[in-house]
Amino acid sequence: MDTRKTTDPSPSAGGAAGAGAARVRKWAGGLGAVLLLALVPPLCDALFGASAGFQLHRLSLIGIYILAALAQNLLTGYAAQPSLGNAAFFGVGAYLLAWLTNDLGQPYLVGILVAMAVCAALGALVGGPALRISGAYLAIATLGLVFITGALLDLWDTSAGRQSYDLTSLPALLSEDHALYFTILAVCALVLFAARNLLRSRVGRAWVAIRDNEAAAEAFGVNLTRYKVLAFVVSATLTGLAGALYATWATTASASMSSADQTIAFLAMIVVGGLGSLLGSALGAIFVGFLPLLLGQLPSPLAIGPFQLQVTTLTTGIYGILLLLALIFFPRGLSSLGTGVRRLIERRAVHSAEEGTV
Amino acid sequence: MLAVLQVTLAGLVTGSLYGLLALGIVLIYRTTGVLNFAYGAMAAVSACFMYILLTGPQLNFWLALGLTLAFSIALGVVLERAFARPVLEAPVFTKAIATLALALVLQTVAQALWPQLAETQHFPTPFEGHALRLGGLYISLISGIVLGVTAVLMLGLTLFLTRTRLGIAMRATADNQSAARLMGMPVGRIFMLVWALSAAVAALAGVLLASQQGLIDVQFMDPVLILAFVGAVLGGLDSLPGALLGGVLVGLADNLLALFLAGHHLGALNVSDPGVRETLIFGGFVLVLLFRPQGLLGQAVLRRV
Repeated sequence: MDTRKTTDPSPSAGGAAGAGAARVRKWAGGLGAVLLLALVPPLCDALFGASAGFQLHRLSLIGIYILAALAQNLLTGYAAQPSLGNAAFFGVGAYLLAWLTNDLGQPYLVGILVAMAVCAALGALVGGPALRISGAYLAIATLGLVFITGALLDLWDTSAGRQSYDLTSLPALLSEDHALYFTILAVCALVLFAARNLLRSRVGRAWVAIRDNEAAAEAFGVNLTRYKVLAFVVSATLTGLAGALYATWATTASASMSSADQTIAFLAMIVVGGLGSLLGSALGAIFVGFLPLLLGQLPSPLAIGPFQLQVTTLTTGIYGILLLLALIFFPRGLSSLGTGVRRLIERRAVHSAEEGTV
Repeated sequence: MLAVLQVTLAGLVTGSLYGLLALGIVLIYRTTGVLNFAYGAMAAVSACFMYILLTGPQLNFWLALGLTLAFSIALGVVLERAFARPVLEAPVFTKAIATLALALVLQTVAQALWPQLAETQHFPTPFEGHALRLGGLYISLISGIVLGVTAVLMLGLTLFLTRTRLGIAMRATADNQSAARLMGMPVGRIFMLVWALSAAVAALAGVLLASQQGLIDVQFMDPVLILAFVGAVLGGLDSLPGALLGGVLVGLADNLLALFLAGHHLGALNVSDPGVRETLIFGGFVLVLLFRPQGLLGQAVLRRV
């Protein structure tokens, strides 16, 4: 947009119109995406017939992962805090929802809101001390928090004498696959919209300033402590929401939600998708959260030459190779693919325009 | 008292294994900036290779060990060229996540080549059933070997890094890559050597752990790796003695806590549950980091504006 402004003969009027058109286009893009996704359930019904509900249920998982990836991206991609602790809130959110709705008999919405509030408080509790630690040290220390949380949740299960913590008093509506899909879609759209606005506010600019140059941001009067702790709080709240939704989706809460694998998966999502990119969070969630499920559809057992492979082994391997290739060819994330293509098109356009004038 | 000493000794042995792995992690991290989550898989693949040599062609233990070390060095070189080189300039997160993908690929390849190792197998060694007696303390022969190998390796590595030309070049590369390059050091070849060296350390640690447990499968290093990472960070990611110290501390804490917590109850809570032990270890680790954010022996980084 900047380049267009400078080349335009009447910068003020043309620039404003250009910006307005771009805004309309972005709005249309967002609304169009939501509408397209709303068309998925009927499409699913037409395609899969009897198993449509099952397929749709699996698709819904992507939405939950998008929320978790977005939370991690706000913290790591925007505010530059390499925390591996998010899975702790993922598990806590799920267990709180289960506890509040099952054991305390609270309504579902209260359960979700309390889970988010507690996760926000825990985020502040973690964020404060985390400011003392940086880089790889912070990553491994917060990974420790995930282990502690996982062990404590597991301990809660064993001392309460239960095999699994099933959510038995969910609203009947949410046990229906279509309704669950639309609920998750709505939550995702809302959260993405809110995140986009937050990132364009004072808070988002402060985070990016801290990420790009901490010392310069501080010199310009950005309160480092406040904004970093805020990043932890926002991220923990969103992850708590994702965890509660995951428990709703799976109708059970398990201690494995707060495990090293889970938290590293969140980080992998944003690294694959693109640090500091909303689109990247979504792409990464699809790649890391959904691709393994998709690969699980391969015929079993598969023979390649002399090797008889179990499909589970094979999918892990294929997935590993795909992940590796994605990281080698798009070290800045899959979202850089979009930027690259757009830049290429723009360069073409500028090129042809120049030829036209000559 | 004797029980405490006995457990301390056991803690030193497990700690040495964590320490060895932490050493390799720190070596790679310092020179190439890769936080290597595939280190456990590298150790496991080498140990599995040795298991195959021992059970397939029934090779002599020492011959198999030699071949395994050669294999691990080759593995390190291949990984550096095929994996670490393409992602060298990538951001640090990308590199860390790429090592996870690498771990998946390594495990799949191992499982495809040696399907019997998907299940836990017995790892045969000539040391089984032998024990050493030190005063009133007993220690299995393999545990004694673990302690000995760790001490010798640490000493050897320290001498290598401080006294030899190549070792000094490695440290120079770790400190300042572009300056090292300007001084005419073959930085690329040094990266390769670092990967080869730490792959050999991984192989040794893997074989020692498999011998000590007497058991092996493709994923047997996974639970150990996280504790090795904790050890490495606890000691300070830029210090080799720190890595060993951190690993030993984690091992000691693990074993001593198991002794002290055994059989105790806190209300309805069974304190001897491994979960409680893990919680205490990680809690202590986070506390130490709060007071020493760069680890026990790490150096604080100056912030330049």
